[in-house]
Amino acid sequence: MNAIPVLTIEDVATLDGVLAEFLKKAEAELTVVIDRGGNVISQYGDMTVMDVTIIAALAAGSFAATKELARRIGEVEFNALYHQGNGNHMFMNSVDDDTIMITVFGHRTTVGLVRFYSAATAQSVATILKSLSREGHGFSFDASDIEAAPIFVDQ
Amino acid sequence: MSIINYASREIQFKIVYYGPALCGKTTNLGYIHQRINPENRGDLVSLATAADRTLFFDFLPLNAVVIKGFVTKFQLYTVPGQVIYNATRQLVLRSVDGVVYVADSQWEKMEENVESFKNLEDNLAKQNISIDEIPYVLQYNKRDLENIAPVNYLEYVLNNRKKRVQSFEVISSTGQNVFASLNAVSQILLHKFSKQSDVPKAAASPVAIPVEPPVRLKAGAGV
Repeated sequence: MNAIPVLTIEDVATLDGVLAEFLKKAEAELTVVIDRGGNVISQYGDMTVMDVTIIAALAAGSFAATKELARRIGEVEFNALYHQGNGNHMFMNSVDDDTIMITVFGHRTTVGLVRFYSAATAQSVATILKSLSREGHGFSFDASDIEAAPIFVDQ
Repeated sequence: MSIINYASREIQFKIVYYGPALCGKTTNLGYIHQRINPENRGDLVSLATAADRTLFFDFLPLNAVVIKGFVTKFQLYTVPGQVIYNATRQLVLRSVDGVVYVADSQWEKMEENVESFKNLEDNLAKQNISIDEIPYVLQYNKRDLENIAPVNYLEYVLNNRKKRVQSFEVISSTGQNVFASLNAVSQILLHKFSKQSDVPKAAASPVAIPVEPPVRLKAGAGV
């Protein structure tokens, strides 16, 4: 297992601040920062109608799948992807080698505005993530904490 | 790669079901989805062809035990087993924390079992992960069929390493040992995670205190 990134309360507050500002400027509904394995790192916005975990898994897959397409035209990867719907749309852009940012937006804004503000936001997010502690997560427990009962129960 | 979030008090893990084509990986996830408490799971997402063969992956998010106030979240993935989809398998294996290797017990599938296991080792190595380091368990699936190899033969073929791992006789269609193998790999994973907790003295340890849930914006509302 690789070094484990630790998101402290301060880290999350800083990330939330950056993402909140982005949503306000871009007038988007929701933004999610994920790693390229599909794990959610941070999220901000209206999450009541969407399962963010599933969006993250599918978006990571979608982003990786198009990498091969990019190679065919001589690119390393496409650093942004746009999925256009009838009312809701999704914009994904690369944050760094390990991270992607997803933005969901509707009719209140345009893809141009989202694209414009997401570039600067991605840079800020990358800087924050680079500073995360990976030395040790400080979260230990005794064997008895997890052995008392099965982790998953067949009903 | 697991992520620990001290604000939402969550720990995320990724478990991948790996094995040759038609060995029962998707059936494992289908059974878990069907039998686990609906409050502890999300939707089962399956990206399959019209003939129900996994094209990209299946995905099932689960919430598990709460340890010291932290919810453990497990994300279960399957890979497409067909040989030609190796690029997709590499993609799904990215940031993996644990593996359930599903072998098909039928005699005629032995070569595919060995080939797929070797493929798993190779694909992990591309991420600089050794099969000996990652938590994994073996499933010998389809034990209800007639033309199956005995368990000691499967052990010889697939579990003949310096460090032997837990193995289970499974019938994924009826659910036999499906949860047992998932629980086993989860236990190993959590133990390993706990052992990685040492924080250097110079680094400030995160403070785990309850916090208010994150602010949720309503559509149209400014911040």
